[in-house]
Amino acid sequence: MGSEQIPQFPSTAPTPHRRAAQEASVAGTADRWFLERIGALWALLTHRPVSLYAASVLRIGYGLLYLVYLLREFPHRDEIWGPGSPWTPALARQLFDQTGWNSILILSDNRAYFELCYVMALVTSALFMLGWRTRAMSVLFAVVVASFHARSIFMTDGGDNLILLMALYLVLTSCGRRWSLDARRNRLLAARAGDVPEPVRSFSAQQLHDARTTLTTVVHNCAMLVIAAQVCFLYGSAGLYKVQGPTWGSGTALHYALNLELFQPWPALSHLVDEYPMMIAIASYLTVLLQVAFPFVLFGRLKYPVLTVLLGMHIGIAVLLGLPLFSGAMIVADAVFLPDRFYAFLPRLWRRAAQRTGTRPSAPDRAAGAVSVPPQGRPGVPGSTHRAVSAQKDITPATGLASEHG
Amino acid sequence: MQAGLRTAVAVCLVTTLVHVVLVFLHVAPANPVSKRYSSQVNGWVYPLFEQNWRLFAPDPDSFNRTILARTAHSDSKGSVQVTPWFDLAAVDHSAVDHNVFPSHTSQNLLRRAWTSYVETHGGSDTARSERAVMLQTYLRNVAADRVAALNGGGGTFEFIQLRVITLPVAAPGAASRNRPPAPSEDRLLPWWKVTSHGK
Repeated sequence: MGSEQIPQFPSTAPTPHRRAAQEASVAGTADRWFLERIGALWALLTHRPVSLYAASVLRIGYGLLYLVYLLREFPHRDEIWGPGSPWTPALARQLFDQTGWNSILILSDNRAYFELCYVMALVTSALFMLGWRTRAMSVLFAVVVASFHARSIFMTDGGDNLILLMALYLVLTSCGRRWSLDARRNRLLAARAGDVPEPVRSFSAQQLHDARTTLTTVVHNCAMLVIAAQVCFLYGSAGLYKVQGPTWGSGTALHYALNLELFQPWPALSHLVDEYPMMIAIASYLTVLLQVAFPFVLFGRLKYPVLTVLLGMHIGIAVLLGLPLFSGAMIVADAVFLPDRFYAFLPRLWRRAAQRTGTRPSAPDRAAGAVSVPPQGRPGVPGSTHRAVSAQKDITPATGLASEHG
Repeated sequence: MQAGLRTAVAVCLVTTLVHVVLVFLHVAPANPVSKRYSSQVNGWVYPLFEQNWRLFAPDPDSFNRTILARTAHSDSKGSVQVTPWFDLAAVDHSAVDHNVFPSHTSQNLLRRAWTSYVETHGGSDTARSERAVMLQTYLRNVAADRVAALNGGGGTFEFIQLRVITLPVAAPGAASRNRPPAPSEDRLLPWWKVTSHGK
């Protein structure tokens, strides 16, 4: 989450109180101070949705991960979620009666019904990733993930657990505002509408509309806070438990992890790494330190190097221990801590790289004007983005930003 | 209208804070606060927000498990034929070997079926709770399905038995690295009747 942005909020509410507060009594000052805090908090919560890019990255990341996971388990789908699973539908039902879980997969033991659910899960994940009717899709995606998770509860690991939590939280966020089909549609509609003024609403309708916007914003902001806290708790608790383990303290934990046959897809590589006890010890200590320290580094620039090290660590886990789904889920979760300006900067970086490798040298004066206005489409000209894309191919950066301004 | 909106925002905020605190108490190591409020914590967190981030914590497993299974079949004349041991874990290991994206069926299915069985049974093989019976059925189904798949669906069987050998991972720098380690546990389970699975 873009925690660095918090100071940028225009704290409109507190200012009118300031002068009066100086003349008030001590109690009054405390009162005013309290009101100011409330006002600032109100502004922070309701002013605008925070970290819209990060929310979209989470949507794309988890949608894609789940799609890849479902496809990867295609040959094993019946064994994991289907009526032919060793965790039989009868056992699943019995457990649900005890735990209060539920799953769409146990509504019928019919094989065809299961195949239908599987296909629906694939389609839902793909559409959620693309951001088509995002709010409805996010609800469906959460239902799918919860259903499939509950049905295979004794075959899941931390990666599945994290994807489930995020799928639930993402329902509450406005994760379709950036980099989505919804955003594209809205942009095209806006372009087509052109200069036509917005329809005039009656006073109460306008009020209702404003209230709805505020509420959506608040729910989104709260959900992003929960997601950020969730990731902190994940690292914090993993770290706190590791601190209690003697092998982490003696710096040999990773030696044991590398020798587990089920987490050893490349035995030669695992044994090679295992030959360097110094490296193992350093990596073990670094793991624990980073996990425990994680929540505390998020409020400064230190988070960038820490997130980079964690990225490397997760790639290492994906390859060495054969846990790509878990690692992928963790990497996507870490992305929540990158601020919007980081994501807004990415396309620019991309274009600059494309320019450098491009065939024509760019004209410097045009590059300077890269802060662009979205193309002003006119009514009846639906091809406005098409033109922007083709302009981009011609390496004219001035018009290239059409794809990010919703 | 404004009052309603304010109330809604306050409800959101309070819910958020409550959720965050309860999830924290759920994931943190057991402490006086989480023990005191365990019913509230469990009531809120289960089932949807249950979580556990203890993969490799407090310590990674320091052993590998070999899970063997054999089956028995009594023919029409009444004589009982017992098969040799099948190494079920070896199937998983070879499925993980040189695989960029190992399946949950090889990394988690048998591994977690066994650890869940041990969690509910302890050292005894008598199921003492409803959950234990369920997990015994599950483990039996897993083993029966695996054996049936290994047989190519050929042999029929009515009984199955499991044997679980725990092999410790040698300490770093130990000279015995290249020798196969001595098993720290060799557990033979009772024969189980196979009903619906592994025909």
